[in-house]
Amino acid sequence: MNERNIDPYRKLERIRGRLKEKWIRASERQRAKGKLSAMERLEILLDPGSFVPLQSLVMPMYAEFDEKQADAMGDGIVIGYGTIEGRPVVVFAEDFSYKGGSMGKSHLEKMEWAIKLAIEFGVPLIGLYDSGGARIQEGVHSLTALGGVFFQNVMASGWIPQIAVIMGPCAGGAVYSPALTDFVFMVDKTSYMFITGPKVVKAVTGEDVDSEQLGGASVQTRKSGVATLMAKDDKEALLAVRKLLSYLPSNAGEDPPRVNTGDPWDRIDEELNRIIPADQRKPYDVKVIIKRVFDKDSFYEIQPFFAQNAVVGFARLSGYVVGIVANQPKFLGGVLDIDSSDKIARFVRFCDAFNIPLITFVDTPGYMPGTAQEHGGIIRHGAKVIYAYSEATVPKITVIVRKAYGGAYIAMCSRKLGADVVYAYPTAEIAVMGPEGAIEIIYKKEIEATPPEEREELIRKLANEYREKWSNPYVATASAYVDEVIEPKETRPMLYRTLCTLLKRKKRFSKMPTKRHGNMPV
Amino acid sequence: MGEEVTSPLSGKVLRINVKPGDAVDDSTSLLVLESMKMEIDIYPSSSGKVKEILVKEGDNVEVGQVLAVLE
Repeated sequence: MNERNIDPYRKLERIRGRLKEKWIRASERQRAKGKLSAMERLEILLDPGSFVPLQSLVMPMYAEFDEKQADAMGDGIVIGYGTIEGRPVVVFAEDFSYKGGSMGKSHLEKMEWAIKLAIEFGVPLIGLYDSGGARIQEGVHSLTALGGVFFQNVMASGWIPQIAVIMGPCAGGAVYSPALTDFVFMVDKTSYMFITGPKVVKAVTGEDVDSEQLGGASVQTRKSGVATLMAKDDKEALLAVRKLLSYLPSNAGEDPPRVNTGDPWDRIDEELNRIIPADQRKPYDVKVIIKRVFDKDSFYEIQPFFAQNAVVGFARLSGYVVGIVANQPKFLGGVLDIDSSDKIARFVRFCDAFNIPLITFVDTPGYMPGTAQEHGGIIRHGAKVIYAYSEATVPKITVIVRKAYGGAYIAMCSRKLGADVVYAYPTAEIAVMGPEGAIEIIYKKEIEATPPEEREELIRKLANEYREKWSNPYVATASAYVDEVIEPKETRPMLYRTLCTLLKRKKRFSKMPTKRHGNMPV
Repeated sequence: MGEEVTSPLSGKVLRINVKPGDAVDDSTSLLVLESMKMEIDIYPSSSGKVKEILVKEGDNVEVGQVLAVLE
């Protein structure tokens, strides 16, 4: 009888022991940088004890299995599944402590496998990125594997929610994996994203810039809009992801989870009648309206520091998840420009993909005028808002708060873009343009014929007449472009009843001839 | 590191809310522009101290024009 000279159980025990030691070393190395290790991060992200690792013994491309090489095992990335608030998710987490988290072929094929699993299971994918970039020694094998990751990100898009958390460097081609996901979180001061790093920028263009200025969390969340949210450290970022998932269904075939928030649906809020200033030129904060209308503390804002003239985010209405889009008069008067159009269109498409009803609050003086915007392509960017709203088949409710002028009024989920129900406040001004602008065109001759010292008085008088006649909600209600005029204080019960009715409706399908897909002006 | 606060759009300076030496942050309205028949608050993107205000009330400003400098 052959007796094994190696005890197989002892061998596995030794490997596990070495992996455990490796993660202790990884934690120490990461701590020195103010970061957590891949394993520590997963412990915070997932419900305690729920994580099941997969492929943790995968070796780098050119390496054979050697039980002493615990550092190489897994090739710098952890993948597996676990739960968040009891709901299953698939995760991957890059391990910067092994070769700077460099992405070898094995590493990337694990990442690709994780995404495939998430698609197969129909559960959200959360990726924690912390990598210096492609592993140069594995050259084109790395790059090709990266292509496999991108492809799966695209396949997953619109079927499962994909969330990227950037917790260290994310550079070069690697940035396109997070860029293809739905939400990108970044950690302040320790994470950055860019196509080419400061050294290459300096060598190629002579420009002197550091990583933080080039692609730090602040830049990517405020200026570029690449990232959705910024957190102060690893823990805050991971907890924010947990919170975000509470608003999302596991896949496009499910409804978002309803919870009991304890906020009565029929709450009347007198204060809401006092928020919109009497002077039409005065700004106010639309978030005050949002926070008062929806369930207490339920508003979860997306891209809060990017294109602040538009506000988007999730909230609950008597426990039902809704997606909110609003113009923000506090910034740039609530004008629609290139960035805010992109922000709105992308959010609307996410909500539509994941069965999240849309509630739109309109107060915009129009699309932003000027050469900077025209030359930047406001026409094609602005078109995205119209496209996204028209295409969306989830329940769409619109509330016109104040200004609803010109093309921007039409773009903001107006009747003919398929709004199911349109409400207006008594303060609404729905017209082709603002009174002052309009009368300067209509009464050009009369104004020019008036002595300059009397012009201001004449303009004020004509503007008031115009406002009385045209800039109000009643021209629109008379033609059923608006269904009803409601008081701000009754917004919550009105929205709730409307939403409950619309939720009964089965997903609406287009009666158009079959086509592959539309050609969105992306 | 100082920040140059530039005008996001063209318009007229209606009011200036701060003076050199004032401590400000990204929720402080430095000045108010009138544009598109709206009053538009201009906020810095970082916090700091106002070093200089480069416009006065009644000025017409262009997109990208530096309105104030923080230090």
